Amino acid sequence: MKRRLQVMIIAAALRLVHAALVELQRLDPDVADELRCLPTGMSYAIHTGHNAPTLFVQWDGQRLRRIVHPETPAVCTLRLKALAISFRLFTGQMGLAHAYAQHAFTMSGEIANVMRLARLVNRAEAYLFPPFMSRRILPELPGLPVSPLRVYAAVLTGFLRFAY
Amino acid sequence: MKPSYFEFQNAVKLLCGKNALERIPDELRHLESTRPLLLTDAVLLRLGVTAVVRDAMESEGCAPAAVFTDIPVDSSLSVVNRIAAVYRECKCDGIVAVGGGSVIDSAKGARRALSQEANDILSLSGVENLHCGRHVPFIVIPTTAGTGSECTGVAVIRNEEQGVKMEFLSPFVEPDVAVLDARMTLRLPARATASTGIDALCHAIEAATCLQSNPLSSAYCCAAIRLISANIVRAVQHGADAEARLNMAMAATMAGIAFSNSMVGAVHAVGHALGGVCHVPHAEAMGILLPHVLRYNLPVAAEDYARLLPDMAGWERAAATPADQRGEAMVQTVADLLERLHQLVGIPLRLSEVGVTEQELPRVAKTAVNDGAIIVNPRAMSEQQVYELLRRVF
Repeated sequence: MKRRLQVMIIAAALRLVHAALVELQRLDPDVADELRCLPTGMSYAIHTGHNAPTLFVQWDGQRLRRIVHPETPAVCTLRLKALAISFRLFTGQMGLAHAYAQHAFTMSGEIANVMRLARLVNRAEAYLFPPFMSRRILPELPGLPVSPLRVYAAVLTGFLRFAY
Repeated sequence: MKPSYFEFQNAVKLLCGKNALERIPDELRHLESTRPLLLTDAVLLRLGVTAVVRDAMESEGCAPAAVFTDIPVDSSLSVVNRIAAVYRECKCDGIVAVGGGSVIDSAKGARRALSQEANDILSLSGVENLHCGRHVPFIVIPTTAGTGSECTGVAVIRNEEQGVKMEFLSPFVEPDVAVLDARMTLRLPARATASTGIDALCHAIEAATCLQSNPLSSAYCCAAIRLISANIVRAVQHGADAEARLNMAMAATMAGIAFSNSMVGAVHAVGHALGGVCHVPHAEAMGILLPHVLRYNLPVAAEDYARLLPDMAGWERAAATPADQRGEAMVQTVADLLERLHQLVGIPLRLSEVGVTEQELPRVAKTAVNDGAIIVNPRAMSEQQVYELLRRVF
């Protein structure tokens, strides 16, 4: 039961992070700049554990698209070593830097690509989590050009429009 | 602070001290290697350092099946692939690497390609992503006391196409055996002794204070810092002092074991970028950047630095320094040591001294923030902050 609940929460969190990045591309110039630096076709897969959700996203030069049934392996694959670790990571109990420091995932592909993803996820988390949580998991709280509430509103509207 | 979780691995057998080289054939027999490929570089060959190893091996009836010497100062993916091809052509069954970081990391890359039966090392890039693969016996004999690469699970190899240094992290790149013999570093020039020694110091300080630091690696760091601070000037001034040389070699190995299990930090991230973009020798980049990055980190890492003061400056100095000033005192001790080595043998202290141009700094900053080492630096560092640091160091 506990595992099923964790799987559901992680699946929701992955969708939320992706949706937030899509909206932040429009709302936050730093995110837009970071995405623009990605080569077209760059793809990331995040596996969260055995029989657990996977997020596969691809940058098509315009937008970060979520792909449900990818036809080719991702350019960069992060494989978290256990669902319990993924749960901590996606519920604001552990940051990506600490996950890296604690050997929480394996990675195939170039490390530089993970660094780009880490910056994007950190930025999204700064909006999605309240400051007391962000402060604990992020190396430094960034200045945010728009209110987190605006990001949540955009994400909610996006979900209602089936935009992701 | 004790981390909530950490991992620690070191499976390298260390042969350290008198006649260590002569024991290599016996180790090869245990590893079931009869046709080792000897890897080294042209400079070591010319200086006769490689001959010392060959003589020691041949005196015990073990000759290499092939010798590969075409390894440049900054090794590259293509060199690694060439080594793997030679290994296959000559039907070798083990690798003996004699050299500094470039030779050892090239050997690690080639061994990884061979054990995974891959033709291109680039296809294997990643972090802890590969299984052990086929065992390729691997012995390493460092000829500098700095990189610690003889005991690490990381290989840093230059990607010529992208102008970046890539890190290949896996416990399966660790050698089977590392050989520390003072004969290997006795002829190391004073300036190289100084800069490679500072590289080892940098490993120890960053490994002890980065986000991935753990109690076991910290123990190695403290021991390494003590040995370096007590021996580096002696080894620089008296190159033939075998005891100082061996102490420096041990310190470098211990610092290597430490950072292999803790990672490093921004000094290395920016240093790799300087190497990749501007071809600054790694050890010199470390010396230039070290005190400046430590100062940048001071607001969040002062306590961790303070804990290193007794090892760096001695217990009496540490005890005489007020507790709240020990972090700053440690950083100043490092800066003073670098200044002394600068005066003694001219190690560079500014980027402008090693041919870096101002125009290259933005590209260095962009490359540095994509280096894996920056993620575990105790203080976050953005591209702009790296650029400002580079401007200060220029």
